[in-house]
Amino acid sequence: MTFVRLAGKNAWRKPVRSVLLVICVAVAFLIYGLTACFLVGSQGSAGASDDILGVMSAAGRTQPLPLASMVRIAADPGVAAVTYTTRLRGFVGVENNVVAVSATDPRALLGINGKELGLTQRLVDAIGKARDRVLVGRALADAQGWTTGQRVTVTAVQTAREDGGRDWRFEIAGIFEGDNASTDTYFMIARYDYINAARARQKDTADAFVVRPRDGVPPGELAARIDAQFANSAAPTRTQSEKQFLDAFLRQYADVGLIVDLVVGTSFVTLLLIVVNTMVFAVRERRFEIGVLKTLGFSRHRILVLVLGETLFIFGVGGAIGLAGARLATELAGPALGLVFSALVLAKAAGLVVTLGLLTGALPAANAMRTPIITAFRTR
Amino acid sequence: MTENLNHQPYIDLKGIRKGYRIGKESIPIFSGLDLTIARSDFVAVMGPSGSGKSTLLNMLAGIDSPDGGQLRIGSNRLDQMGESARSSWRAHNMGIVFQFYNLLPMLTAAENVELPLLLKPLSARQRRVRVEAVLDLVGLAGRGRQYPALMSGGQQQRVGIARAIVADPALLLCDEPTGDLDRTSADEVLAMLAFLNRDLGKTIVMVTHDPHAARQARRTLHLDKGQFSEQRSAA
Ligand SMILES: Nc1ncnc2c1ncn2[C@@H]1O[C@H](COP(=O)(O)OP(=O)(O)OP(=O)(O)O)[C@@H](O)[C@H]1O
Ligand SMILES: [Mg+2]
Repeated sequence: MTFVRLAGKNAWRKPVRSVLLVICVAVAFLIYGLTACFLVGSQGSAGASDDILGVMSAAGRTQPLPLASMVRIAADPGVAAVTYTTRLRGFVGVENNVVAVSATDPRALLGINGKELGLTQRLVDAIGKARDRVLVGRALADAQGWTTGQRVTVTAVQTAREDGGRDWRFEIAGIFEGDNASTDTYFMIARYDYINAARARQKDTADAFVVRPRDGVPPGELAARIDAQFANSAAPTRTQSEKQFLDAFLRQYADVGLIVDLVVGTSFVTLLLIVVNTMVFAVRERRFEIGVLKTLGFSRHRILVLVLGETLFIFGVGGAIGLAGARLATELAGPALGLVFSALVLAKAAGLVVTLGLLTGALPAANAMRTPIITAFRTR
Repeated sequence: MTENLNHQPYIDLKGIRKGYRIGKESIPIFSGLDLTIARSDFVAVMGPSGSGKSTLLNMLAGIDSPDGGQLRIGSNRLDQMGESARSSWRAHNMGIVFQFYNLLPMLTAAENVELPLLLKPLSARQRRVRVEAVLDLVGLAGRGRQYPALMSGGQQQRVGIARAIVADPALLLCDEPTGDLDRTSADEVLAMLAFLNRDLGKTIVMVTHDPHAARQARRTLHLDKGQFSEQRSAA
């Protein structure tokens, strides 16, 4: 027998209680593992590129930039290609059926991130045949039940037409699939020339420019250079990678990471209270035996380690089961959910297992350590 | 350990004061108790219930401390030692046998006996050899894998004795070691204590209610109203 085995035997003496505690811990770490994997993998930004840059107004995402700025961006030797895009938010049929329309130059977009979006020359040719044609992303098409050739009307939230109406009629020219399952395809691509000509205000402006840097040009440096170029102009810019943009975009509505932290934090605090409570009672039940161990010459320090070892044991077993479950889930779920069980997730979780194990053990361990032997012996 | 200073007694209590506080009232148990015990002596302590026998034994074991006076065992002043020093002193110098055995139920007999050895710098193999040797000594060879709950009272107490002596302490303290046993089992336990005293030179202090048990000892002390009166055993 060793000291570790003694702690293990202590933990295992009421198997039902210990199993329930282990399940508790396992479930908490399953939740933690899954949300952590989700945060690492998804938020929509797993499929987002770090290479492609978006240039927006420094005054805010909704402030338009003059189209003229694009010429200056294109002049930078680090830029391989650039195009403009204007976002039109609206709904189809009912107000809560929100859709987003990106008005751009499809031909230029093909060269910039056509591969990611799953754009093909055939699709670009199709949209080129008429000004009111659009390309619809697979996710949006499936959700709405749309097919090629169909006509749809998007009622814009803000963007009014010159004739005063806000209904924009489009014909679906084709459907783009996205490079992989985690690419965001819940939007449609319209022709900028059509939207720009027909809209009542903000003509010849863009909400953003999409830039593909030349091979070998670090995107971060290029972004800084573009922003520097416009720093003292009438329309200063803010340039970010698509991934940074998406992260910021999601955060605009709700800080997903914060919400997940709160949910996970709450479940951990609950877990902590349950385990602390149970362990305090478990140790109190065992006060007499701890007194016996002390009588045999076990120091207070050893008793402390013994009780901490026991909670660490429970957290270790439970944490391992929960994380193994999370790992399994990421594999079973396939890429669709965008769960990624990274080494960082594992390391953080392992750190949490140890920290929580020590935290929950601290109170009962301190109790066990402090109780004088004579007091312990009088408890029988 | 060498006893210097010409035949100093092994255990020396001088002017021990001890009382318990219940609420505001302080109930004195000892007010100036003196006692000396020689090395390798076997002392029985008798006395009415509540006379302070267990309190005395607990102080000798270093798990309770006197309110005043001197308590020396060997070269150690227990009354001056802190909690952790006493803990270490217990691990190296003292074995204790309880009336109700106080074995840990989730451990086998052998594991219970092994507990004090976890505090020593011994390998797993060395520990196993020691455990087997003492189990053999108390007549439980081959019973090491059994759990205490499946053993008779007499067997459990022998495990208790094995645990008390496995680390080879010089001092053995027993609080009514036969109090819960039938005559036959009690006699076996007493014979074992006599053997440990006579053949291995252990100093034994045994609290007992049983005059028959006390007759195994070399000395019997009667504790009453906080003071001793003594009988020298005839044997
Ligand atoms: N922790 C304590 N707090 C208060 N009083 C105590 C405490 N421990 C012992 N006492 C009291 O001290 C007195 C002596 O107790 P002790 O247990 O030493 O007696 P004893 O001689 O061993 O009795 P018994 O033969 O019944 O075991 C008793 O009156 C007891 O109630
Ligand atoms: Mg007593």
